[in-house]
Amino acid sequence: MIQIYLNVNGEECPANVKPHWSLAVVLREQIGLTGTKTGCEMGTCGSCTVLVDGKPIFSCLRMAVDVQDCDIQTIEGIETDDVLHPLQQTFIDDHGMQCGFCTPGMIVAAKALLDKNSDPSEQEVREAIGGHLCRCGTYVRIVRAIMNAAEVMRSKS
Amino acid sequence: MEYYSPTDLNEAYELLKKFGDTAIPIAGSTFFMGHREELFDEVEAVINIKKLGLGYIKTEDEILKIGATTTLNEIFDHEITSSGVYKIFNETVNELNINEVRNMATIGGEVCIAGEVDMPTTLLAYDANIVIGGSEGTRVVSMADFHIGYLNNALDVTEMVVEVQIPKPPENTAGGFYKFERTAADLPIVNVAVRVSLDDDGICKDVRVVAGAATMSGVPQRSAAAEAVLLNNKINEDLIMQAAEASSDIECIDDFRTPAVVRSLWIKCSVEDALKKALSELDKGE
Repeated sequence: MIQIYLNVNGEECPANVKPHWSLAVVLREQIGLTGTKTGCEMGTCGSCTVLVDGKPIFSCLRMAVDVQDCDIQTIEGIETDDVLHPLQQTFIDDHGMQCGFCTPGMIVAAKALLDKNSDPSEQEVREAIGGHLCRCGTYVRIVRAIMNAAEVMRSKS
Repeated sequence: MEYYSPTDLNEAYELLKKFGDTAIPIAGSTFFMGHREELFDEVEAVINIKKLGLGYIKTEDEILKIGATTTLNEIFDHEITSSGVYKIFNETVNELNINEVRNMATIGGEVCIAGEVDMPTTLLAYDANIVIGGSEGTRVVSMADFHIGYLNNALDVTEMVVEVQIPKPPENTAGGFYKFERTAADLPIVNVAVRVSLDDDGICKDVRVVAGAATMSGVPQRSAAAEAVLLNNKINEDLIMQAAEASSDIECIDDFRTPAVVRSLWIKCSVEDALKKALSELDKGE
């Protein structure tokens, strides 16, 4: 076992890991942040997406031991001062979910897009969530929620 | 299983030598983590090579040099691939519609996987060379010779890919890439990359037509017949269709994912589309 420290949502979190343990498993089972979901665990569903140094990655395909020097942001770190992020709010308002399992990954991927591009086209939104599966099939409302969040964020800035 | 994170190349080579075929160099980790359960019993040492300074894109002596740990999105975002002769590299990455994987997967990893990936097909069309490093020194192998068979490459167990080199093609050159997959985020069932170089009179002076992911050999392959149709001719709609038809000289694999006859048809469609993309790019440049 290797003792590591991960910087998750601005906090230093200790963990004991084996080299092949994924970041997703360590976040959920050692650090207790179960907002990040593990679906396929082989990089095809997108539900485990987190931001590493601001870029979205599949945490099931990243070794936890490999991200010790990185700034990791999970769905739990998206809100600020107990106020929901506009994306979280519009996903609720537009009901951009059915069962909600894919939602954390969708929101994290959408945040990465909106951080880079405050006025994305619908096509760009669809491309940003291209690696995410929603088995309930709520894609239309997910895209709408992301477009609406972009509008809210633009009006605030 | 031990984890190592060397900070210089010699240290990495020593580890590869020490652990032999039980060591696995890791950068993006997408392949290793995606297959960790199968690989768990075989791997004794995981060697993270991301701290070796191999993440770069630069041009030296008219050669585009891409470090092995450069991610696909770094290639996609780089200005050298935004237009001109290297634009096809941007297109190739763009066809993999999973942003998260593009942020992780590296060109070195794509090159090493001789299977259903896109980049080696484009690299073969651009006559790329693979720089291989090991404790005995470095050697250069052409992309054509690097892949030996499905999931098999020319690396010795004590070696690893350190750089991909792409010689600058002539001025009036453009490439086109096209692929078929089940969904936008899936592995390719067929991918095709073409490179066309024209002279001042619009005559095709150099051409590559390469198909990957579908071949019986398991590795990207050139279509000699399609290239022969195009070479030394002025390319028009009719010739594009003839070249597409001629690409059936590539023998396709028949498996549970797709029958060979369908793959063969899709290669023809992809050759047509990729050639049209390349020509439209050349038109823009004029």
